[in-house]
Amino acid sequence: MRMPAIPLGRRHLALPVAAVLVAGCVVPLAVLVVFSFFVVEDFELLPAFSGRAWYELATTASYWWLIGKAVLSGVAAAVFTALAGYPVALALAGVPASWKGVGVVVLLTPLYTGEIVRIYAWRIVLGSEGLVNAVLEGLGLAAEPVKWLLFTPFTTALVLTYNNLPFMVLAIWVSVEMVDRRLIEAARDLGARPFQAFVKVTLPLTTPGLAAGVFAVFALAAGEMLTPSLLGGTSGQTAMAMIDTLFGTAFDWPMASALALGLLAALFAGAAGLAFALMRLDGARAVLARTTR
Amino acid sequence: MNRRRVLAGMAAGAGLTVLGSGRAAFAAPTELVWATWDSNGHLEYVAPFEKQTGAKVKLSYLNSEDAQFAALKTGTASDWDIVNPSLNGSWRYIKGGVLKQLDLAKMPNIAGMYDVFKSTDKVKDEAGNTFAIPYLWGLNPLVWRTDVLSEEPTYSTLFDPKYKGQLAMRDYALESIAIAALHIGIPREKAFTLSADELAECKKALIAQKPLLRTYWQTIGDLTNLFATGEVTCAFSWRVPYDALKDKMKVAMAKPKAGIMGWCDCFGIPAGLADDKLELAYAFGNYLLGADYASAIAEIGNYATTSGIVRDKLTKEKQEAIFIDDLSVMQSFMWPVAPPNYSEWLKVWAEVKAA
Repeated sequence: MRMPAIPLGRRHLALPVAAVLVAGCVVPLAVLVVFSFFVVEDFELLPAFSGRAWYELATTASYWWLIGKAVLSGVAAAVFTALAGYPVALALAGVPASWKGVGVVVLLTPLYTGEIVRIYAWRIVLGSEGLVNAVLEGLGLAAEPVKWLLFTPFTTALVLTYNNLPFMVLAIWVSVEMVDRRLIEAARDLGARPFQAFVKVTLPLTTPGLAAGVFAVFALAAGEMLTPSLLGGTSGQTAMAMIDTLFGTAFDWPMASALALGLLAALFAGAAGLAFALMRLDGARAVLARTTR
Repeated sequence: MNRRRVLAGMAAGAGLTVLGSGRAAFAAPTELVWATWDSNGHLEYVAPFEKQTGAKVKLSYLNSEDAQFAALKTGTASDWDIVNPSLNGSWRYIKGGVLKQLDLAKMPNIAGMYDVFKSTDKVKDEAGNTFAIPYLWGLNPLVWRTDVLSEEPTYSTLFDPKYKGQLAMRDYALESIAIAALHIGIPREKAFTLSADELAECKKALIAQKPLLRTYWQTIGDLTNLFATGEVTCAFSWRVPYDALKDKMKVAMAKPKAGIMGWCDCFGIPAGLADDKLELAYAFGNYLLGADYASAIAEIGNYATTSGIVRDKLTKEKQEAIFIDDLSVMQSFMWPVAPPNYSEWLKVWAEVKAA
């Protein structure tokens, strides 16, 4: 006997996707929201309504500072990786096909070494007895080790840029590869200089890749905990580390939940700001295109 | 043989199998799972116990004490038979109801424990019942470079501008704030029960200290590396950098008179442990306080147990290495205890790091 056919429309096919999104995204967030209003007594999380955690979050400057710092850190990393990554992506797109694979392997190899290895490698490079200081002292450019190279916000920014560069390059590279070269050639035939061709043709057509890279790096860098704490010195405190301590050591789950939600809201605001900036960049590109015509 | 006989035979066989497994379930347990730190539970440390009892000790290494507590509290650690609360954190296990009350008569080696550990109230509930037993301890000294600093450091050295850029503190609110308290003159008995005003004073001292520090260290491997690469010359530490570097650099350990931060691990039995495993669990607790474990961990791991059972059999050098050459050191012990208002401490710590 044949089973009767079940009529499946597009809406039905979307159900599994919706279920995954609800289970993976909505439910955990809802749990955090609920926990943020609970109270902790004798290491029991009790469902008694309390706004204590939200009041603390709203009135404690250090929590605001940590959240703001996460957003700034993400924005800085996104901007620096975009500036450093665009030329690399263009170069990668320009090499012969047989070398592209080599380029990608070189680009991705640092990721395979693991974050801790990279962090200690940077310490060897930037430390008081490290490579850079040895060169500076050897060339007579510094009489004693330059201390600000390591354990400063500069180090954190540098290493976050380095760590996230492959994600930015890959995102832009894929976009550049999809640009129809004939459009660039046409621009050149019509008298555009290479920079003009880049501004008028390549940049607009690769904006989706740039946007993908910017949002990915922003999210990765804003949530980074290890690099700031091991390389940022006394400036290495992060919101993520604070959330970890509140959940674990202090057993203050309501406060940790409120801080996590506050951070999430700030990161969404930061991402919206970046989206706005990218749209402005689009406008700026148009202005730039007119002035370089 | 007809079909009925075959079926009867199969049924009998199945019945015997069930009975057999049932009898095995009632036999003495042959396995014990010990949740502990990897440094406390090497295979060679537990081999004598396995030989004596015929039971196998399975080691389950911990990532953090918080995770251990959470696992017990949420019931996701049902396979653990012995757990490892710290002395300073035992109170939350007891308050949380995750440990079984212990019958001390079943562990005769308790008699050999040093008084300071035997008499501690930190492993008891308000009624005086014992829920955990301290078994392993050590000191968290200051580690310093004798070729850079001219005299043995105290906690105030960590706040001395003369050593700007060479100092490190642990990125941990509890110890760092307590050290600031000792530095500003608060007695060690009050260092973990600070009033709001005292916390504010500690915060001031820590903010003033911040520009002097090269960094806050995260892990002990991290600090060892900082010493090895010349970034740091004096730090509040664990003993690991000293052991790792003493043959390569001029390093020493200092034990400040103001109060030595100690660490102490305890063993406890989870509240839900099955009755048939209790005897073996008590036997293992007794073993941790005995001579075999004490000798193995002193010789290989450079740690002292809370029992003096092998002290006089160790060389003077070994006694010195594990801090039991001069027992008067126990007079200045202070055991870090997370205060009930720990969130306030964390807020202060966040403010210090934000400054």
